Amino acid sequence: MTVSRTLGLLVALLVLAPGLASAQAPPAAPAAPANGESSAAAAQPAPDDPDRDFNRSQPDFVVVNLPTTLRLPKFKSAFRVTHRFGRPLGQGSFGDLADDLFGLDSGAQIGLEYRFGLMRGLQVGIHRTSDRTIEFFTQYNVWTQADKPIGLGVIASIDGTDNFKDSYTPAIGVAISRELGKYGAVYVEPMWVNNSNRLPSELVDDNDTFMVGLGARIRVRPTLYIVGEFIPRSGNTPGVNHGTFGLEKVVGGHTFQLNFSDGFGTTMGQLARGGTGKDDWYLGFNISRKFF
Amino acid sequence: MRFRVLSLLVAAAVFAGTAACDEALSDLTGPTPNLEPTFSSIQQEILNTTDSSGRLACINCHNGNPFVPGNFTGANAYPALVGRSSVEKPGLLRVAPGDPNNSYFVHKLEGGPNIVGERMPRGGGPFLTGGQMLVIRKWIADGAPNN
Repeated sequence: MTVSRTLGLLVALLVLAPGLASAQAPPAAPAAPANGESSAAAAQPAPDDPDRDFNRSQPDFVVVNLPTTLRLPKFKSAFRVTHRFGRPLGQGSFGDLADDLFGLDSGAQIGLEYRFGLMRGLQVGIHRTSDRTIEFFTQYNVWTQADKPIGLGVIASIDGTDNFKDSYTPAIGVAISRELGKYGAVYVEPMWVNNSNRLPSELVDDNDTFMVGLGARIRVRPTLYIVGEFIPRSGNTPGVNHGTFGLEKVVGGHTFQLNFSDGFGTTMGQLARGGTGKDDWYLGFNISRKFF
Repeated sequence: MRFRVLSLLVAAAVFAGTAACDEALSDLTGPTPNLEPTFSSIQQEILNTTDSSGRLACINCHNGNPFVPGNFTGANAYPALVGRSSVEKPGLLRVAPGDPNNSYFVHKLEGGPNIVGERMPRGGGPFLTGGQMLVIRKWIADGAPNN
């Protein structure tokens, strides 16, 4: 219960932070024009929002599964679909693997995600995976590297199994990023995941997972990136520590990513529960689209 | 101001939701909702009581009857179970503290392939549920204390 209360307080701070920030910020919009000059003023374009500019170091809102510190512009949105194919790449001979088109013939855990910018720096979203887990998440990007040496985002999420009717797993943490000029970015993301064990706490030694997401996105060609993540954990640590790497192509508002992972997890609760623990790797992909 | 009030409401909702995240043990233990991973609870709910599913209490037979090994009544139960060699499998302890996988008590209740004789309770069921077995396993894994 102490852990839950501490978690609640931290989440309260997270939720309050944007409110405090907005209270301190100067008014962004110009004063309303007087009657009679409204039509000319209304025709003027809105002030340029730097959050809408393409960021070559952080072209997307996630690396593979871990969030980046890219800001989603106010009232804009983005969509992502994830696939993690179920065929272990090490199963059988290379011929067998080729016959199965490297896993594409097998079933997959599919995720659908939509996120929306509520206010400057604050986004909320929903992510559902085909094992009927639904995750609600929010992220407030406090700093960007435009005015600080690092980017900083505060993240809170909760996922629930059986279409959010069972086994709830809240998580809070921060995403710290360091952009490497225009050649990519590296990430460190300490996260606390509560109730990561689906059994009652009376029956388990650890009911929570503390994990540190480590991620990188390196730009190797003008629109081509190499991505990777590794997530060491402590506390409740079933399976193996999540690891993934992949290749990503950015085309306009789309991002196409082919990845290889040691598990199927895409939500914070799933990542806390680790990979399959069978020393297997699986093919997967992410496709995302920005609506701005 | 409205945003701050909204933030407080959302924070309160998140706090309430977070505090209620843990699964309830009673949801797992089915016909014995009061079962906990303590010896006194296991003795009361499993050894001494026939539960609502019809699973028979152990002391129906293990009550000092000279033809049935193990007397699980009252104060006899703990020493008859914990650290005591099995009659059917003398190489195994009935309850090996800290080691549920090598406790013959668990093998007999789960009906493992290496048991001698019938799975318990005898008569072909109802048997203990998976949730009830998790509680028993947890008590053994914790060292099988006499608590």
